[in-house]
Amino acid sequence: MREKSGNRESFRRLALLLCALLAAFPAVAQEMTTSFVDIHQGSSLSERARSLGNGGYELQNGNWVSFNQWYRARWVDMHVDLLTQVTEDTGILWGFGTGEEGEKYRIEPSLKLGFLTQIHPSPNSTLSLSLTTTFGGKLTEKPCEADYGDFGSYSVNCRLAASQLAPEETLKYLVNAKPESQHLWLNYRVTF
Amino acid sequence: MSGNHLKFGIVLAFAVLSAPIASAQEAPDADEMAALCHGGPSICVSATIPTARTQAATPGWMSPDVGAAWAAGYKGKGVTITIVDDFSSTSRFSGNFGLGVQYQRHGEWTREEAGMIAPSATIRSKDFTTGSSVALAPGLNVLNLSYGMYTTAGYSSNQIGWSAEEASIISYATRGTAVISKAAGNDSVAVGGVTNGQQDYLDLALVGKASAIFVGALSTNGTTANKAQLAWYSDYAGSNPLVQSHFLVVGVDGSKTGLYGTSFAAPIISGYAAIIGSKFTKATPTQVTNDLLNTARTDTLVNYSASVYGKGEASLSRALAPVAIR
Repeated sequence: MREKSGNRESFRRLALLLCALLAAFPAVAQEMTTSFVDIHQGSSLSERARSLGNGGYELQNGNWVSFNQWYRARWVDMHVDLLTQVTEDTGILWGFGTGEEGEKYRIEPSLKLGFLTQIHPSPNSTLSLSLTTTFGGKLTEKPCEADYGDFGSYSVNCRLAASQLAPEETLKYLVNAKPESQHLWLNYRVTF
Repeated sequence: MSGNHLKFGIVLAFAVLSAPIASAQEAPDADEMAALCHGGPSICVSATIPTARTQAATPGWMSPDVGAAWAAGYKGKGVTITIVDDFSSTSRFSGNFGLGVQYQRHGEWTREEAGMIAPSATIRSKDFTTGSSVALAPGLNVLNLSYGMYTTAGYSSNQIGWSAEEASIISYATRGTAVISKAAGNDSVAVGGVTNGQQDYLDLALVGKASAIFVGALSTNGTTANKAQLAWYSDYAGSNPLVQSHFLVVGVDGSKTGLYGTSFAAPIISGYAAIIGSKFTKATPTQVTNDLLNTARTDTLVNYSASVYGKGEASLSRALAPVAIR
């Protein structure tokens, strides 16, 4: 619960920061335009979550348990990237990811924030630099509750419940992955 | 003889040494061999697990289940397997568990086999000619008994004047303080049955004991596609429900090792028990025993019948699996 409220708080702060940045340029605010840069579904973390669904094992009675049921989502993480132009040669890059959730994993919603600036070394060339940071978007795998009959019930890594690892040891192998947090992009373009 | 305790010292190790004869009767055909070699494990995990290997290369005589155990890196750690066997006689014979042809005593073979199934287990050797009590180590104990105690048929096991060695083993099985993996015997009779006027009284003494398992031999590891049958020499469960409920079978693929006999079935169960004990570190010997018995498969056996196969073919993967998960 603490983590969730913490996330909510950080998103609130980021939203405020974005508003403040936009408000800091009142002279140009009226002329600012915002454009879609990219919209796509899926990410490397989505792929990773999907790959966790490969495989399965038999329960004691021989019934097959497929991992796939635990690592599929109805909605795949969607990312929207936008560019708000502040001056002729600078802009704020921002965007968000919706996140996704399966029965045994969650990818948090994410917020992307950064800037784009460009210079013109010559009339027919452009050097662009952009830096973006992503907040949130972490992939967290959830544990299962496994009933081992006389041996008791344990919280386990769902995928390793039938392995030779001690039940409590399997929890070490739960996936906790962060998205690519910072992205630096440098581009030089010559028109001829 | 009634009321007299019979002292006896005929100890028979359960190896079938007539390998060429057995080989002729047991060798699977080419298709069967291919199916065994290519059969996949029933455990399939996609996670990164502690060792680099995800499917360890195991010798062909082992069940694919054991390969999965090796891959996971848990191989019997924290469990002690005591091999009660022949470590001192001049009798040696050759075989090959995939490590090259060796010429060893009976106990050296069974010790090697149990150690290969559960490489991280502590393996102790106890020469059965000493007659002294078998000591238990801290933690889970598994005793491997690939021998029998034979004498003239017709007595009850409590008429026998057991040595401290067998008395301690029977006591551990009764109190459930060690898993007892007992080779069923190679006389093609029911456990404890009469053969040539003799009976295995150690079998009889272990009937109905909480943590004792009688282990018979299949000629191969069974699969649902290629079902296995009881090896021609192996003792079977028989009609006694107390034996049936504590009787397991495992593949003893002598065509690959040159080693035949229920002597080489019991160490497989000993190794399985050690692996289960390394997963469930607080498990009692009786719990481990029951886990192996309750998860045995019957769908991998030709014409399954409790009087032949007891509970069925031991399945390490199922013994390690949950009953339910959510």
